[in-house]
Amino acid sequence: MSLIPGLGIVSGMALTLRRFFEPKVTIKYPEVRLDPPHKFRGRLQLLYDEWGTLKCETCFQCAQACPIECIDMGGMDTRGRYHVHWGAPETYGERREESALRRSGRTVPDPAYQPFASIDLTAVDAVLDDFDRDPAHMLEILEATQATYGYLPVAALKRISNLTGAWYAMIYGTASYYRHLRFEPSSATSQAAAVEAQRPAETTYLAAFDTALGGAASATGGGRRTSKPRAQA
Amino acid sequence: MTVINRTWDRLTLPGKVVFTVLPVLLALLLALVAVIAILGGTIVDILAANLPIVRFVVAATVILLMTIPTAFLLIYMEMKVIALMNLRIGPDRVGPFGSLLSVVHGLKVLMKEDFTPTGADPLVFTWAPVVTYLASVMTLLVIPFAPGLYGQDFNIGLLYFFAIGGLSVVGLLMAGWSSYNKYSLLGGLRSAAQVISYEIPLTLSVVGLILLAGTMSLNQIVLNQSGWFSSWYVFQQPLGFVIFFIAATAEGNRTPFDLTEADSEIVAGFATEYSGMRFGFFFFAEYVNVFILSALTVALFFGGWNAPFPWPWPLTLSLDPGGLGIELLILVAVVPLILTLIFATPFWIASSRIKSWQALLGGFVLANLFLVGLIVAGAYISLDWVAGVLWFMGKTYVFVFTFVWMRGTLPRVRIDQLMDFAWKWLLPASLLNLFVTAAAIVVVNR
Repeated sequence: MSLIPGLGIVSGMALTLRRFFEPKVTIKYPEVRLDPPHKFRGRLQLLYDEWGTLKCETCFQCAQACPIECIDMGGMDTRGRYHVHWGAPETYGERREESALRRSGRTVPDPAYQPFASIDLTAVDAVLDDFDRDPAHMLEILEATQATYGYLPVAALKRISNLTGAWYAMIYGTASYYRHLRFEPSSATSQAAAVEAQRPAETTYLAAFDTALGGAASATGGGRRTSKPRAQA
Repeated sequence: MTVINRTWDRLTLPGKVVFTVLPVLLALLLALVAVIAILGGTIVDILAANLPIVRFVVAATVILLMTIPTAFLLIYMEMKVIALMNLRIGPDRVGPFGSLLSVVHGLKVLMKEDFTPTGADPLVFTWAPVVTYLASVMTLLVIPFAPGLYGQDFNIGLLYFFAIGGLSVVGLLMAGWSSYNKYSLLGGLRSAAQVISYEIPLTLSVVGLILLAGTMSLNQIVLNQSGWFSSWYVFQQPLGFVIFFIAATAEGNRTPFDLTEADSEIVAGFATEYSGMRFGFFFFAEYVNVFILSALTVALFFGGWNAPFPWPWPLTLSLDPGGLGIELLILVAVVPLILTLIFATPFWIASSRIKSWQALLGGFVLANLFLVGLIVAGAYISLDWVAGVLWFMGKTYVFVFTFVWMRGTLPRVRIDQLMDFAWKWLLPASLLNLFVTAAAIVVVNR
């Protein structure tokens, strides 16, 4: 209630007159079409690449970014090694508890998660203590962990999530983003181990072969017959 | 004969229509010319002998015809202005800037079913919109649009205005009563209560002005206000003007006092049962009323057709185009061409992308605008009534805009607030205004 009666009317009229000259918000739709907002993604859909494989890497970044937590997803990781899961298992009640947990910043216990191989976690703990259990140094932590184990075991990631308080999906997303981080022993290591495992048998066979030929194999073999693996004592 | 038959058969339907209509029109034109040539003198004599009757018939016709484009313009203005105030674009599909939309509205209303409810009194039901509409239109007769340009100059013009304008209540009551519908009846009674209540402050607010002017002839009132704008009555009767404007808003059933036929509500008051062109007449009457009330406000308080200040350098055009003789014909033939070329040159110079026909078209349009401007300016200078009409319409549409502006701004009041305001505020204020004016006149004249 202003002191002067009718002042409200005057200010209202002034407002509408200002509006009269302001630029208009109407968009003449069929002729003029706005660009969609740059964060607009349209209908969510999983895409396939040209070989018919799902492009989804199960990195959970979509589920993590979803503000209303409406994305539930789970599946095998890219290499098909182990199960990953995000979101509610089955029931709404569990889902709600999960949401509460997730909002409180703790890791969500996941009953649908398949048990993973437990490993010796003291090395991870040491790495985490080095970095003060600070999730801001996630990349360094992950690199150090990989340097220790040769790869990133799931148990180690879980441990990191537990101790730093970072979401498992976040850690998994970080780990799956960088090409130099891997979730299984590198192929070079595993192949070398496989070759080493084959070697005693091969040596035995070659020795027997050599004996049967009376030492000719070791003399004629080698440089000329390249298709045959060279015997080494 | 066969040739004619064959040619006729080869024509398409539009061709047949054109070749039938054109000769008929030509024959009618010739007949008209013949009638004028033979009987023209007599007719003119008869008309000249009965000039007052002719003047009345012409005035009534012109005024009746004038209301239609006026209402269309006002409806368009209302749609567009309120849209712009709401940050919308408003009508923009039919015609330039949507200006033909109200015409389309009119056609739509014409094509709708004209429905009379069972149980309604058909005679009263039919005539109610006519009464309302005519009550509005007939008041236009006394409004002076320009010096010499008015329907009638009554010496009781203002009284006539309020008397006839008050008749619209009868129309509203008729509509409400004859509809055989309780909502219509309530709406009609409510609007009658409103209009009658506001008629009192409306009339009383003008009485002070009548005391000042010493006449009720609107033409004389306007003449009294000639000269500088300081002689406008609004400066002597500011309170009277405010009361008059508020009461006029209520009288014209405009926001914030449009309870009578609140557009935004479901039940349309007294017009609930009306459809088609009968409703259209109520609609028309409302908009004509807005125009008339604005015009009356201008005539009473804002100097009517007087310019706000006398033109300091009086100009007189002494044109005598007939004196040029044959050169006039040459001028008429050559000047438009030259002007078109002159106005087309900027387009040519501006960009080589503009094709020559486009430049010529632009030049033609600009030359036309220039010529029309010249003609209007010439008419303004040399013809009193052109200047008067321009000023009068300009001022009137300022007030029309204000009415629309108020509608775009103010919310609707409640019925009890409406009545309280009329009886507890406007009536005492108008009485105060009257007494103060009367006292001032007595003091000054003594």
